[in-house]
Amino acid sequence: MIMFKRAVSAVSMALALQCLGGCAVAPWERGTLAKPQMALEPNPLQTELRGHAYGAREAATGSSSGSGGGCGCY
Amino acid sequence: MPANTASGYMKGAGAAEVNRLATTRISPALQALTAAALLLPGLTEPARAADDEASIQYGHYEESPRDVYSRVPSSEFGFDLKKIPNNFAPITVDSIHVQGKTLLRDRWRFTANYSEDTWSGATPVATAPAGFGGNKAYGGGGSVKHTDPSLGDTITGATPYIQSLTPVFDQNFNPVLDKGLDADFNQAYGFGPQPLTHTMTMASPETRKQGDFKLGYEWDEAAVDVGGGLSLENDYESRFVNWGGRLDFNSKLTTLNFSQSYTNSTVSALLDHDSLPYLGAIGYELNGKDDNGYIERFSDRLSGGNAILHGKREDIATNLSVTQVLSKSALAEAGVGYTHSSGFMENPYKATYAFFVAPDSFDATTGVYSNLTGSGIATTAFTEQRPNKRNQVNLNLRYVQHIAPLDAAMNLKYNYFFDDWGINAHTFEGKWVQPLPWGLTVTPTIRYYSQSAADFYHPYLVLKTAGSGDANNVAAYRALIQQYPNFSSDHRLSAYGALSGGVIVNKQFARGLNLEMGFEYYSHQGGLRLGGGEGGYADFSAYSANAALKVDLDTLGRSLAENGGGHHHHHHQHGPAQPAGLMFGHMLNMADDWMIGYQYMYGKQAGNLLQGAQPVADSAIISNNAVHNPNCANEQCFAAPSDMTMHMHMFMVMYAPTDWLNLMLMPTFMDMGMNMRQLDGTTTPSNTTLVGAATTHAGHEHQTGGIGDTNISALVKLYDDKLHHLHLGLGVSAPTGDVDIHLRPSHTYEIGLIHYGMQLGSGTWDFTPTLTYTGHRDDWGWGAQIQGVKRLQDHNESGYRLGDMLQATAWGSYRFLDWLGGTVRGIYTTQDSLHGAYDRPHVPIGTMDTPANHGGKYWDIGMGLNVTIPGGSLAGNSFGVEWIQPLRDDVNGIQLEREGALSAQWNYMF
Repeated sequence: MIMFKRAVSAVSMALALQCLGGCAVAPWERGTLAKPQMALEPNPLQTELRGHAYGAREAATGSSSGSGGGCGCY
Repeated sequence: MPANTASGYMKGAGAAEVNRLATTRISPALQALTAAALLLPGLTEPARAADDEASIQYGHYEESPRDVYSRVPSSEFGFDLKKIPNNFAPITVDSIHVQGKTLLRDRWRFTANYSEDTWSGATPVATAPAGFGGNKAYGGGGSVKHTDPSLGDTITGATPYIQSLTPVFDQNFNPVLDKGLDADFNQAYGFGPQPLTHTMTMASPETRKQGDFKLGYEWDEAAVDVGGGLSLENDYESRFVNWGGRLDFNSKLTTLNFSQSYTNSTVSALLDHDSLPYLGAIGYELNGKDDNGYIERFSDRLSGGNAILHGKREDIATNLSVTQVLSKSALAEAGVGYTHSSGFMENPYKATYAFFVAPDSFDATTGVYSNLTGSGIATTAFTEQRPNKRNQVNLNLRYVQHIAPLDAAMNLKYNYFFDDWGINAHTFEGKWVQPLPWGLTVTPTIRYYSQSAADFYHPYLVLKTAGSGDANNVAAYRALIQQYPNFSSDHRLSAYGALSGGVIVNKQFARGLNLEMGFEYYSHQGGLRLGGGEGGYADFSAYSANAALKVDLDTLGRSLAENGGGHHHHHHQHGPAQPAGLMFGHMLNMADDWMIGYQYMYGKQAGNLLQGAQPVADSAIISNNAVHNPNCANEQCFAAPSDMTMHMHMFMVMYAPTDWLNLMLMPTFMDMGMNMRQLDGTTTPSNTTLVGAATTHAGHEHQTGGIGDTNISALVKLYDDKLHHLHLGLGVSAPTGDVDIHLRPSHTYEIGLIHYGMQLGSGTWDFTPTLTYTGHRDDWGWGAQIQGVKRLQDHNESGYRLGDMLQATAWGSYRFLDWLGGTVRGIYTTQDSLHGAYDRPHVPIGTMDTPANHGGKYWDIGMGLNVTIPGGSLAGNSFGVEWIQPLRDDVNGIQLEREGALSAQWNYMF
């Protein structure tokens, strides 16, 4: 848990620092960000299908979605 | 809601947004710059979330067989631990997902989803030390007995054999192998570490269906959505609602996402009939009628004593996340989620062995507790018992970085999970999204998952008190829960790690068609957990493969517009309406035209049993029941179907290489269900016989589902003078549907193949010719079609072939409005009976298992409505629905009456 907290603070610090340097990205500078490969979730259908399989197999997966999913009782 | 978040963000960063920002807020100089920036390639085109999109996805998941061990006679004296062959089919899941998205009005978005999955296969029911012999031989006699010479009668896999183990423990309560008598006739024991093993059970196919929707409204810098849905299985039903929102800040560099959901589920699990006598569910009986789980016992005529485990469950999940643009080429997301669950969270099909070791069963000479001394060791298996509350927290981070030299994106994700069951888990995921020439994008993926065990996870339980061996002994149960208030041996709650890797290939075709294919290999191992986990007995691997076709209807519309108004206009005139249930009835008239379509068909049989065209009484069916009853495959009759339902989903892609030839590909996905009843005047045979075992398991619905056969056709125009049209269809049906679906073994017998009518395909290559004539004048239309199915092979891999079929139909149609038409038709169908018979294990129990009781002559009337959207963003779409009402059935042999059929279809030409 302590390790985890350290990791989280390190990552947040890094993100914050990077943001201070270059966060002011003007609208016309967002061409790269608008590319399809830069989507947070580039393959949503695929992610949903794999997520369903993980959710039926893993104790920690699938708990956060409010989208049904059934029993997975196998 | 990852998809929602993504699309929300993409809209925020999209070119349309750039444009809007530039024109509403920014100085003229910046406007000029922005206008210039918009001219740059790659800025205007991508990331435009499709307003109107249809997609279908098929997925297949398959696990490796589990390793199963048992105590088996050694080649010389006594017993040894041995891996026994496991022929049980592993878990497989086939799923289909259909999605439609549309922009209802300017700012309203609507998404509808339908998904369906069918699973079957062998799954662990409990765990014990391998030397205790939880996996036993099972027979069945004659042709259905599986034997392995090296193992005597030990059959592959095992029935859920929970009784009569051979438990032995050393003084520290470690398991010991009872090796039986050695060469000198002395009792011998094997001390030292002993692996565990699962006791496996096999499940017949079961289908789950889910429908859900989402309705969203968007402002310039915010969005909200509400959604809901329903997931249905025979033993599990979920209803859910959700809502969420998005807020953009800081010139859309920062986006806040929020979502919440509520799920309410009901479990009603039919407990394994075989195991009822020795499966302890007493805890749920003592509960009274508690939502956290209670047992209802009842008896039906086919299966006798039954028990259903009922429970209710609620889940409330809340998620909050922030997406931040970090630079021109990087963005990140951080989120937190909390889920509170309460109620019945058990897997009702998992049991845990409890060994009650009486203190006086210790023998100091041999150094073991065993059944040979004192009061011995009592073994009972109890249905698992989990806490009725669970609080779960998820923390996640995601980082997306553009890799300029390759124009690729690196997508990294980390999730930390913990709950109050003692589970904490880490998930790392990495994707490399690499665009390539020719519209290809290749994405290798890697994922690592590691979890600790739940506090109440125990592979098996040991109590240092005497037990009764009676699964429903209250005192023994109280002693158990005093020491173990909750317990589960479900390996999902054990400590383990999972490593998986895969690839996704995406191809963008012209006109907004996108094909995505993915493959992943997944390995679950105790040893893969950071710091070690459960033993190797629970390891398994799995692969999943999927293919999705997405159609961006907006892009299609645009490409049509670019092709010129005349062409565009032409496409939206579908001509006169045709019945929605008609296949191969429509041709594309112009070279290079495309059509995609989806057709749903539902059919139900229920009501009277018919012999020929007349209802037949049960007493007539069983009048020759002594031994060879021709009504039931020359065996005795015990059961008949009470209702049968079929749902079929057909997907069609059609292309016109020339104006006189169309090529068509039509894969199908289907599911079926059959309920049976006992024939009056019969007595269900004892379940200690093969036919009795099969009959007792006909007391609940049998289900199958998955891919059906695939049709490949060419349509050839023979005549067309704008008023009359004639075309010939030449097709083959490829045997892609299964014809070897099994029922699960029961009462130690292998029941073998399911009823003929429940198999998903014909199993043979079939020739499917059609001849179609259509005509029209003003608002009136008419037509006729002859369709045949000729089986091209003598028999399929299971030893039979379906009968040939011929169907004739004629219809008239009228267009009431520019966009609305109606059809009426008559249909005559004749189909031969089934030829041959199953040549693999199969136990006929009723009329539906007789090859001669298939096919017949049928007369129907069909009435339908058709809607064609003439203009607007959905122009080119057409919808149809048709109800087919049986007028007369004249069946071969004895069959269930038909109740009707529904067809619904959607087509899009471009």
